[in-house]
Amino acid sequence: MQAQYAIEVSNLTKKFGDLVAVDHISFKVKKGEIFGFLGPNGAGKTTTIRMLTGISIPTEGTASIMGYDIQREPVKAKEQMGIVPDISNVYNELSAWDNLIFTAKLYDVPKAYRESRAEELLKMFGLHDRSREKLQGFSRGMKRRVCIAMALMNQSSILFLDEPTSGLDVQSVIVIRETIRRLNEQGLTIFLTTHNLEEASQMCDRIAIINHGRIAAIDTPEKLKRTFESVQSVEIAFEDPPPNAAEDLGRLPRVSEVVKSGDKFRLYTDDPPSVLTSTWNYVQSRNLRLVTVNTLGPSLEDVFVKLTGIRPSVASHEAGTRSSEETKRERGRRRLNQ
Amino acid sequence: MKLNRGRLVREMRVAWAIASKDMRTYYTRPASIMFGILFPFSLFLSFSVGRNVPVALQIPILISQTLFFASSSIGPVIIPSERMNQTFDRFLTSPVSLLTVLMGKTLAGVLYGVGISVIPILVGVAFFGSHVASLEALAACMGLSALGFSAMGIAFASMPGQSPGQVMMPLNFVRIPLLFISGVYIPVKELPPWAQATSFLSPLTHTIELARYALGGETFFGPALNIIVLAAYTALFLLVGIRFHIMNQRKE
Repeated sequence: MQAQYAIEVSNLTKKFGDLVAVDHISFKVKKGEIFGFLGPNGAGKTTTIRMLTGISIPTEGTASIMGYDIQREPVKAKEQMGIVPDISNVYNELSAWDNLIFTAKLYDVPKAYRESRAEELLKMFGLHDRSREKLQGFSRGMKRRVCIAMALMNQSSILFLDEPTSGLDVQSVIVIRETIRRLNEQGLTIFLTTHNLEEASQMCDRIAIINHGRIAAIDTPEKLKRTFESVQSVEIAFEDPPPNAAEDLGRLPRVSEVVKSGDKFRLYTDDPPSVLTSTWNYVQSRNLRLVTVNTLGPSLEDVFVKLTGIRPSVASHEAGTRSSEETKRERGRRRLNQ
Repeated sequence: MKLNRGRLVREMRVAWAIASKDMRTYYTRPASIMFGILFPFSLFLSFSVGRNVPVALQIPILISQTLFFASSSIGPVIIPSERMNQTFDRFLTSPVSLLTVLMGKTLAGVLYGVGISVIPILVGVAFFGSHVASLEALAACMGLSALGFSAMGIAFASMPGQSPGQVMMPLNFVRIPLLFISGVYIPVKELPPWAQATSFLSPLTHTIELARYALGGETFFGPALNIIVLAAYTALFLLVGIRFHIMNQRKE
């Protein structure tokens, strides 16, 4: 079957009792693109992936993978995809080699090919030296690499990656990002969910932002940023910042918000020149010395904040911001762990 | 037709891959050993020691109990663990039917049950004068019973949101009473009519009947009916297991 799109989603909906986790979403992913799926915790990202990959049955709507409906032709649809879930669901009792070989067997990959493919992937992910060790002793980053290698064993057309680099060490993040880029260059379509807006901005051809189960925007990262030209900012750093600097800067004319990030203050405004002038007056009046001054256009993070009302760095660190859906799922997992 | 046969062979290969992975991973888990081996042997000893019954006549009881407990314990160890670690999602996203996945899991239970219940047969034949009167009946008894009880364990294990411990509780709530209504300690022909009717409904009745028949004893309901009932229970438990998984997929 020659499908026009890699993924076509129409009115996809998932309800958990009264909670609507995904609310009639529709979108299309072109073949060969890296499609980012962004949203705060509990927005419906993972639920969407679970429906697209056949783990969860939608309450309403349809989804097709390379032209095959995931509900009506699940076997053909699943043959097209590799999946890296949000949790590295590897078999800790087995070695990296056995994990890869078992995955290939699930896809009925011929013996000779699965062994050469496993060798190739273990080398690609820097795991070859420890391929015969059980995964119990592997670090989180190494297990993540094994999990991604498992998803590549069947040479799929689409790779679903749910938060692939979340919480990993820098080396693992670099290896994973480079691998994703290389695979995409080879023609693999990538469906990527991430909290990391910089990652999405750098890697994705198009991005969908989902919030409260609904698609808030879909476009290329640059076009999304241009939509929000009003969200500009001036970034400054003092040599010796005065106490209450954030409050003082927030009172300057035309400054809508001040966000402190490390030793820098970011002043959001729709008029950077006048903010620069008032900031300079403030510096002069307090006899301060500036180390850095930058004017910045809207970042993807700004677009995200504008659309969702949630700052991702805060959302991902504060457990209290979790939605009822995520909390419910987590509670379920904890119950199983008891 | 050719395509269907190819698909069938492929599904069988995948089911075997799942079963062999489960054998490596779960057979030596403490829960498998406790509920699958120690439990039936302990129960047998507690009810048999001191009874004035020749050991050869008790061998069919031990065969049935080991088949019953060992086969039905593997699913409840495997499936809740895999759902907890989300490794079960791998099966749901792989290009095979849910029936194939559950058949693979069932096969792991079948081989566990058959492997353990071979021990009392060998011991009975070697040391206590048991003899196999019908190899066909013995094969049907072991194969179908292991299949049915393994599928029973899978059905219980597939209930939504359960840990291995939580699955074992309702499973034992069913398994232990079945011992007393299935003609294990009192042959069916010696039971009152109402108890005979009740025992007909228990799959374990048909296992013990076939085991007795295979080792030269009598069967009250007849081997053909025993086989039909065990096959019907196998199909029923597999269907219930699939139904539970579909319910899980709707809820997740």
